[in-house]
Amino acid sequence: MIKIGIPRALLYYQYYPMWQTFFHELGAEVVVSPPTTETVLSSGSSRVVAETCLPVKLFLGHVLSLIEKCDYIFIPAIRSVQSKVYNCSKFLGLPDMTKAVIPESPPILDIDIDINKGKRKLYQAIYQLGRHFTWNPSKVRRASIAAWQAHLNYRQVMSDSGLTPPQAIEEISGTPKPEPKTHSSNPTSPQATVAIIGHPYLLYDEHISYRLIHRLEQAHNRVLTPEMLTTQELESAIARLVGRAYWTYEEEVVGAGEHYLKSGADGIIGIMAFGCGPDSLMMDMVRRQAARLRTTPFMSLTLDEHTAEAGVVTRLEAFLDMIYRKKRKQVEICV
Amino acid sequence: MRVGMPHMGNVYIPFKALFQRLNVDLVIPPVNNQRTLSLGVRYSPEGLCIPFKLTLGNLIEATELGADTLIMPAGYGTCRLGYYAKTQEQILRELGHNFEMIQVGISEQKLFGILGMIKRLSNNASWYKIISAFRFGIAKLNALDRIEQVVHKVRPLERIKGTANRLFVKAVKAIDEVDDYSTLKKVQRDYIDQLNQVPKDTETPPLIVGITGEFYVVLEPFSNLDVESELGKLGVEVRRTTFVSEWTKFSLFLNPLGMDEKDRIHKAAQPYLKRDIGGDGWESVGEKVLHAKKYDGLVHLAPFTCMPEIIAQNIMTSTKETIPVLTILCDEQLAKPGMLTRLEAFVDLLERKRRISNNNR
Repeated sequence: MIKIGIPRALLYYQYYPMWQTFFHELGAEVVVSPPTTETVLSSGSSRVVAETCLPVKLFLGHVLSLIEKCDYIFIPAIRSVQSKVYNCSKFLGLPDMTKAVIPESPPILDIDIDINKGKRKLYQAIYQLGRHFTWNPSKVRRASIAAWQAHLNYRQVMSDSGLTPPQAIEEISGTPKPEPKTHSSNPTSPQATVAIIGHPYLLYDEHISYRLIHRLEQAHNRVLTPEMLTTQELESAIARLVGRAYWTYEEEVVGAGEHYLKSGADGIIGIMAFGCGPDSLMMDMVRRQAARLRTTPFMSLTLDEHTAEAGVVTRLEAFLDMIYRKKRKQVEICV
Repeated sequence: MRVGMPHMGNVYIPFKALFQRLNVDLVIPPVNNQRTLSLGVRYSPEGLCIPFKLTLGNLIEATELGADTLIMPAGYGTCRLGYYAKTQEQILRELGHNFEMIQVGISEQKLFGILGMIKRLSNNASWYKIISAFRFGIAKLNALDRIEQVVHKVRPLERIKGTANRLFVKAVKAIDEVDDYSTLKKVQRDYIDQLNQVPKDTETPPLIVGITGEFYVVLEPFSNLDVESELGKLGVEVRRTTFVSEWTKFSLFLNPLGMDEKDRIHKAAQPYLKRDIGGDGWESVGEKVLHAKKYDGLVHLAPFTCMPEIIAQNIMTSTKETIPVLTILCDEQLAKPGMLTRLEAFVDLLERKRRISNNNR
């Protein structure tokens, strides 16, 4: 059986169930790289020029850890999934860059996704990808329909039961969960509701985000994430703040940021990676809005390879203290 | 209405000519200088690239001079450029300036976008007037670029270093001042003659170094600390394919007709980078492959944190076609002595390489 490797980084968190279903339907086995460790990150960093952004370094580390474990590695080049909304260059150049900096990697399966070129091109691209496994177009068609169903199901699970992507992937694939879902199920009422915004590949990678969500929950806070909002909520928030989305994953930052600034959260933490082009502008957009509104405290954390855990924890604690104090004061005023 | 716009090299000259003919009040902010950069850096988000910072500085200085209508390029499917105007508008408003921001979608509207903007600014002048003014602007642009191409050839050979640069400064001023086609032609011919007559050392052919990279930092000497002149002083002839006049010719007129000057470059990049990644990343990779056999070396200019160029930089190191490449990242931290040291070392390396290959022959 052909083994397809999928790195546990970048778009894995958005599309894994879809990709997994597609390859499974075509009779291939899917191998996911193990969770991030320090070695994964440093091996990825060693391959590229220093100013490459953290998520890409991490991605390459995961590719390296898949070598000799699979026959192909799947790296799509996703240019656009919405009309006239484009993705960061890093996603477009990912297959070619991986080939250039990791010459020993297994052959790369790439596919061009660009909705602006029309449906025909999209179907052709999917068929090209399926051709590696079968000559039968109807089999590819069945697989892609099943994959799309799996994707919709995945989104549904996340927004309905308030699960994070890793939790939802576990739930869907049916692996037994060692610990019960801690999400928003603290017995005592939460101290505060904290929203975290940013791309899933930063928020849910426990190594580079220093288990931020876990830390917040342990301190008895309710955590809100961008995935808990519906598409309509995100889109209307973007329309309010910037008019029209420019980046493919703008809703995770600007949409969620604007939404939570106006409702539902006592504080917002924005997570971005150093050297991230789109985030440098989008996070700034949210920060400026927070400064204008002056209602919800906002903190942005920039992650890189050097970020020391203690530094992150100190800032987090200070931020939480400030939120608690603000809440207490409000209560006092009311009394 | 007073119109302000950011700088990029000498592009303000054609725009000045164009708007003068249409009686539009154009405010030209001071050419890029340390203050522009400091202003831009102070008010920009930290992770942004130098084109953003400098253009923001220009817009701030333009509003200080009384501009109330600001023009900023935008467009979808490029790089961060499309988001510049949105953010800069907010920054300027927070600084308390009052103005209208006009975004010109250069990537999707092409010629009509620019002409439409001019029509709006010129208070609905007739199309005949607009097109004739536009043509004159382009004539100035072409003249500037023709002279600059000659300057590139003269710089490495001139006996007295700096002669070509001094002549170029004069030429730019003269072109800025002319007001009709015949004088413009005369000025262009004049300066090209003068440049050709500069006393030269022609014993050894100069080293040839290609300049490639991101559009803005290649074309704005202030952002790259005038790397072309510095290379000229070291006796190196620079070649670059990026000129604003070329860009205008192709992307405004010929690309919509299906002609693409970059096909050759893209084809060369194909084995290493299959698709456009926005900005000029694809072209950087392609130019390396194309120039590998023809030039002695390549200087790759990129703004710090530029997404397409980072990809290009990572891919460029692994191409089969080899040529020495010096990547210079431009931002406010780039300092002249550091850059000069790197350039000198690079040129030393190229000279040695040439000596060795001559001895072997």
